[in-house]
Amino acid sequence: MGNEKVTLKGNGRRSEPLSGKIKFPIQTRVWIGTLAIAFAVCLAAAAVVWLLPGSRRVARVSVDGAVVREIDLSAVTAEGSFVVEGVGGTNTVTVRPGGVCVSAADCPDQVCVKRGWLEGGAAPIVCLPHRLVIELVSGGDGNALDAISG
Amino acid sequence: MQTKRLTRDAMLTGVALIIFIVEAQIPPLTSVPGIKMGLANIITVYAAFAIGPADAALILAARILLGSVVAGNLSTLMYSAAGGLLCLLAMLGLRRVLSESQLWVASVIGAAAHNLGQIAVAVAVTRTPALLAYLPVLLMSGMIAGLFTGLCAQALVKRMSRK
Repeated sequence: MGNEKVTLKGNGRRSEPLSGKIKFPIQTRVWIGTLAIAFAVCLAAAAVVWLLPGSRRVARVSVDGAVVREIDLSAVTAEGSFVVEGVGGTNTVTVRPGGVCVSAADCPDQVCVKRGWLEGGAAPIVCLPHRLVIELVSGGDGNALDAISG
Repeated sequence: MQTKRLTRDAMLTGVALIIFIVEAQIPPLTSVPGIKMGLANIITVYAAFAIGPADAALILAARILLGSVVAGNLSTLMYSAAGGLLCLLAMLGLRRVLSESQLWVASVIGAAAHNLGQIAVAVAVTRTPALLAYLPVLLMSGMIAGLFTGLCAQALVKRMSRK
């Protein structure tokens, strides 16, 4: 039926003869469009999250939801490290003026180490196996997010 | 018939488990926690569409349990279970709406649902809502991975029905 060369005047769409071009049925095209829009929204949201200006200068290290250490990165003058005891393993956290990273860890996936320096943006450093999270928070006044996570 | 069903489901679980274990050996591609191809989901999508909801759920549950015993640990079990459950529910919900040539759509949405479950567990476990910042990136990777596994499953369904 779809291959016949007929013009459907009623809905303004034409069923075209077989050509080299792949033509999806209307329902599939709606799905493609919807998913493409969803993807674009995610892309925009990801860009906002990553490019969020870094005005929050306090690095908060928590293990299993409890804050174990807070470092004011603007007060850091020289690079230094300390070891954090996570759940089932340890992470070596390194700070430098304005930045923080996990420099070593005995977790299996090493995702926290590969994440590199955290110097801004909303995405925290996370080591899921050890339940360790390092996030940037604004010091002192504390916003809504701090109230929840703290 | 029961024996045939048991054998088929066991074989599909075995195939899914092998894919899962092999994929677990590949180091993470990115520094974003939770991103992976999820190739074992090809079997879940296939089972959900070509066999039925009950069998798909059994195969998925067996694969997740055995997979975390063989290639993971208790915490990976929680992420997989929450993600897998949401993914399965999303796909079974879409099963009635989609035709066979739109099977990949279920996989894409199922993968996104998997990411939602995964991050919900991560937020609950670490008690850090800031982890939600990873959600957009996870959803993007999930949609791409879901598209790939969905197209694989669609090709599989097509070939298996041609006997």
